[in-house]
Amino acid sequence: MLRGLSLLIVILSLTLAACSPAATPTPTVPSPTAAPTVTATVAPTSTPAPAAPEHNLTEGCVPEGQYDPSIDYFPEKVTLTHAENLTVEYHNHYKVVTIAIPWPGAAESLTYVLVQCGTPRPEGFREEQIIDVPIDSLITMSTTYLPFLDAFGVLDRLVGLDDATFVHNPTVLQMAAEGKLATIGYGAGVNVEQVLELAPDIVMTYGSGMLEYDAHPVLLQAGQKVVINAEWLDTTPLGRAEWGKFIALFFNEEVEAEALFNQTLKRYEELKALTANISGRPTVFSGLPYQGTWYVPGGRSFAATFFRDAGAEYLWSDDDSTGSVPLSFEAVFERAREADFWLNLGFVSTLEAMKESDVRYADFKAFQTGNVWNYDARMSPNGGNDYFESAVAYPEVVLADLIKIFHPDLLPDHELVYYRQVK
Amino acid sequence: MIMNLDEELNLLPHLGVRWWVLLLLGTALTLAFALSLTFGSVRIPPQQVFHILLGGEGEKASWSDILFKFRLPKAMTAMLAGAALSAAGLQMQTLFRNPLADPFVLGVSSGASLGVSVVILGMGTGGALGFISGMNALGDLTVAAAASAGAGLVLGMVLMLSRRVQNTLTLLVMGLMFGYLASAVVSLLIYISRPEQVQVFSLWAAGSFGGVTWSQLRVFGPITALGLLMALGMIKPLNALLLGDDYARSLGLNVRRARFWIILSASLLAGASTAFCGPIWFIGVAVPHVARSLFNTADHRVLLPTSILLGAALALIADVIAQLPGSQRVLPLNVVMSLFGVPVILWVIVRQQQLRQSFAG
Repeated sequence: MLRGLSLLIVILSLTLAACSPAATPTPTVPSPTAAPTVTATVAPTSTPAPAAPEHNLTEGCVPEGQYDPSIDYFPEKVTLTHAENLTVEYHNHYKVVTIAIPWPGAAESLTYVLVQCGTPRPEGFREEQIIDVPIDSLITMSTTYLPFLDAFGVLDRLVGLDDATFVHNPTVLQMAAEGKLATIGYGAGVNVEQVLELAPDIVMTYGSGMLEYDAHPVLLQAGQKVVINAEWLDTTPLGRAEWGKFIALFFNEEVEAEALFNQTLKRYEELKALTANISGRPTVFSGLPYQGTWYVPGGRSFAATFFRDAGAEYLWSDDDSTGSVPLSFEAVFERAREADFWLNLGFVSTLEAMKESDVRYADFKAFQTGNVWNYDARMSPNGGNDYFESAVAYPEVVLADLIKIFHPDLLPDHELVYYRQVK
Repeated sequence: MIMNLDEELNLLPHLGVRWWVLLLLGTALTLAFALSLTFGSVRIPPQQVFHILLGGEGEKASWSDILFKFRLPKAMTAMLAGAALSAAGLQMQTLFRNPLADPFVLGVSSGASLGVSVVILGMGTGGALGFISGMNALGDLTVAAAASAGAGLVLGMVLMLSRRVQNTLTLLVMGLMFGYLASAVVSLLIYISRPEQVQVFSLWAAGSFGGVTWSQLRVFGPITALGLLMALGMIKPLNALLLGDDYARSLGLNVRRARFWIILSASLLAGASTAFCGPIWFIGVAVPHVARSLFNTADHRVLLPTSILLGAALALIADVIAQLPGSQRVLPLNVVMSLFGVPVILWVIVRQQQLRQSFAG
């Protein structure tokens, strides 16, 4: 009977869509199987039934008295395919989002319950887990969320951020210059009073795993709704990009998020296919040592995935860790001395300056052949690096850059966006 | 500056530096040095090491680079830092007549931490993705310069005070206060920083001999040599001070002047090694005690050379262990140092009887 009811709703909404004069195409047509639970108990025929929405409500609430438990308030849904750490479950008027590992070493998963505002709160969840959506205001504590807000057209709901100094997004910089954005600082030193004063619907932040230095315990303590975003723990570029859908859930912007990600996915797969059967994969290593220890990205890390997909042979691809591995400088030297490419150095200016800081850098073949490339082509005047900001949302552009670096003839027309050759 | 107290007052016990002591320690140091050159992440057969050191060609071209550009400067750094910290620790323990005093007791290391934290925590990394890149953000030289500036600042203040303050204990308290002050600023900076910046800072605080290149050694080496020479010049005043300020004064020692030079020497040694290697704990406390126990004496003519050689050797061995020979990974140096240091301190506490003798004079 339930199945039949939801079918009825689907047909009804489809008919409505077909009849409306300016029917916009809905990319994700709700199917009966997409709604895992339909908890309707009252048939909507007895009273003048509120019509089921054909789109997610990206603004405002369900008007008072109009709530109908049989209606699927999220006809547009996201499907998660690449993010390893994230699941979302749609119910008629709320969505349950679970992050399996919210921060490194987390003992438990983290669940948020996103309730369509104007509808009742489901039972069995703690207050701090429940967030009314679409949200009207938020504070972000990492610049990596900004490109998604920009893409979904909701930057105007940003009321504050950790620090505007290292932002690259021009709109956000403009907003900050106009005094529209409060800054709340980082970590455990976060300005709680400022946050309470702004009273944003959520603060989106990340957990480092060092709880005593993190902002979220302090904010939760103060009664602020905090959302942990664990995008940075995903080990593939596409996985990280898919976290845009996570952000979209809070705005009911599922359609935008699906469109953005599908476009990224399509282009990424096309580019990856270019190098799939290539012969002659150049060898590559990355980073710089710190106090004699070289933190090398593991063989199953984010960086390693990029290198592999771009048709290069990462020198530590035999390693099976997803984070970075502390190696001694001499171990890296031994393996990477004859490597073709040296990438992702962090903060470097010129080859000359590198040599000055440590003369041993000049012994690498990649240094001698000038094949040193860094991801700092797009820097704001204050030193905000767009690679750590928008590149999260557009991994296909990074991949194109890398392919251009490793195999210039595969993408003759591509102009580097994030990368620059260190000279 | 150097008092000739020995003959006049028969202050020193009969034990002098015996040739066999030096020979033994020299051999131990040479062995440790050889170990440090032979064992590392990259496996190089010992005969190849020997061959390359004598000017031969290695089987692999990279081996001679690894030996001359990595292991040799690292071994030199370990020796210098080990010697410097042990000598500085011994001087502080004697100056304050406190068996638990370490080279950093006057706040030199806190000052260095302050300098480094200003640089590391003051820099932006741009979101959670900046995690790794933040570590590369600074050349090691910037860190060394910042640490030197911080250590120099505290050192300057302590030295200024040491000329005015009559009582050595007052000086100790003031040094501690400077240390607390610097630590408070560091804590404040940590508090308002991003977690990933804190992590970078904690990496510096873990200590390492591997970040020093030949060009840095050109600075680190002479400063340490100067500090050690100054320490060797202070042997007799140190022996006199062991008996207490008043007694030393009655022996004709200019306590304030002696104190000034001892502090300058110890702070140069501790400051330079902290600037280039990060704060390295325990070796400065532990080695002087080992030296005292080995030769059962409080005579600095024995203790100082012994501490220098022993400190150099222990630092080399600690570094070999930290490099986890055979594996490519490395351990934080201070972890290994503590594994060394704690048993030694415990051993010293157990043998307190003898400790009391050394410090009661």
